[in-house]
Amino acid sequence: MIQLKDVSYVRLGSPDLESAEHFATSCLGLQIAERGKKDLYLRSDERAHTLCYSEGDPRSQTVGFEVEDEVSLQDAASTLESLGHAVHAGTAEEAEQRKVKSLIGFRDPSGNHVELVVRPERSGRRYFASRDAGITGFSHIGLNSTDPARDERFWTQICNARVSDRIGDIPLMRVNAIHHTIALVRAPKAGIQHVNHQVESNDDVLRSYYFLSERRVPIVFGPGRHPTSGARFLYFRGPDGMIFEYSVGVDEIEDEATHRPRQFGFEPTSFCMWGSKPAGMTLPDN
Amino acid sequence: MNNGRALPLITSVCYVRLAVSEPSASARFMSDIFGLQRVADQDGEIAFRSDDRFRTVSLGRNSADGASIGVEVWDDKALEEIGRRLRDLGFNTREATSGECRRRYVQSALLAEDASRNRIDLVVRPSRSGRRYFPARDAGIVAFHGVGLRTIDRIRDLAFWKALGAEVSDFVGDIAYLRIDGMHHRVALYPSKRNGLLYAAFEVEALDQIMQNSYFMQESQIRILQGPGRQPASRQIFLHVEGPDGLIFSYVNGMAEVGDRPRLARQFPLHPTSLCDWGSESKDVPELGAPG
Repeated sequence: MIQLKDVSYVRLGSPDLESAEHFATSCLGLQIAERGKKDLYLRSDERAHTLCYSEGDPRSQTVGFEVEDEVSLQDAASTLESLGHAVHAGTAEEAEQRKVKSLIGFRDPSGNHVELVVRPERSGRRYFASRDAGITGFSHIGLNSTDPARDERFWTQICNARVSDRIGDIPLMRVNAIHHTIALVRAPKAGIQHVNHQVESNDDVLRSYYFLSERRVPIVFGPGRHPTSGARFLYFRGPDGMIFEYSVGVDEIEDEATHRPRQFGFEPTSFCMWGSKPAGMTLPDN
Repeated sequence: MNNGRALPLITSVCYVRLAVSEPSASARFMSDIFGLQRVADQDGEIAFRSDDRFRTVSLGRNSADGASIGVEVWDDKALEEIGRRLRDLGFNTREATSGECRRRYVQSALLAEDASRNRIDLVVRPSRSGRRYFPARDAGIVAFHGVGLRTIDRIRDLAFWKALGAEVSDFVGDIAYLRIDGMHHRVALYPSKRNGLLYAAFEVEALDQIMQNSYFMQESQIRILQGPGRQPASRQIFLHVEGPDGLIFSYVNGMAEVGDRPRLARQFPLHPTSLCDWGSESKDVPELGAPG
């Protein structure tokens, strides 16, 4: 079994790095770690980077997960190859671009581009945000799935993800104590549906709601509260249509051995217990 | 708050009596929309509960004895002391008749007016209810919390409240937040061009209910006059909703407890960031706004 330790980074292609930088710093509030010619590295926590915009096609989207060590990485490669997934062994240059020791790349059954990495870099200096959004770190992603039941099997049987809760047949899956690190979203094609950053408090969620509204950033869902994880949330749209989420208060699964996934009906109140309705953002389709 | 007395003179703001043009239509707003429990209809006033008190809101028609704010006084001795202090300061007071007491569901009362001619009832032994509170809608209300009052004579009105034992917790510009128990404030005085009640605030269980009520009001096409927001001075989360005849009803939660140690009132500038930490603004209620 492939042991994912945590989600490590997201890489997004963008034709316009200047707009991406403007949004990432003045709206989202991340810290610029490094500006390359064709890459923009952004920090959100103690890690050297958690988001990278790379000049190119916005359909090029990658999520990186950390695994224990080189041995685990090689085992993962063999497992994936034996199941018929094409595995790309990352070059030294690719590892350097990602600020990791080594990596492999493959596609999940829906065709999402996934990378497994060893020893992603931390930063000695603390995180210092470009605006006071209260971000405490990159936390999870929403991942498109053309077949949630099949992809749930991939993430939970080939990898070590566990289902924390389901809304309809949409699983919210964890790889550590945090309620979810991967939320599958039914969609016609592969892609990252949203990128989540945690913030310090309810105050930060509501402050950002007014702050982003004033700057005409499209708010696509919230402010609201997920009854599944308990998190207070705000979803908004960034460059190239990518959706970003701030949230606070995601539950931790206290007892790994006895936790049973709860079933929520596929209805609006399962996504927001306050009564907010998505606007310009499709909910995971049942 | 005790001003050297062993016992406080007043303990709470215990009701608002409101004059509206159409009491029965307004009553539907109070129960079905805002979420209070309708409990009585007598002496031309419709009464609503929000907690263990018999009633905290009454709706009546515009009439001579139509609108007032109730303040619970410790006992009749305290009531006499208050009467003496207010008369010494030159405020109008008179004892309530038995009919006026009945209409107010209290045993005895001194009917007073502040300098802005806001009618303040100083009442002893307001009625409680034996049955628990059971509202028409799950708005999450747990108690009547306090009021905002418009003032056209802030210095004299402040003197009125100080005579009752209230202390200023903080100022925003000339808005004064007044403390009468351990909470940051129960009464707030807002400089205005006219007198009257600015808002009646009801405490809800948590942020969840503030937000649920916010979406409920949007869906019910009820105007939100400000919020969801958070008052920096008191840390209180609020949602100001427009009720009948332009009255403002508010859901609140999370006010800071100050305790009874003497405390210097802090001054905040009259600026939008002093009125809401999150960034909400009131476009239509001048008293709730500040020049940006």
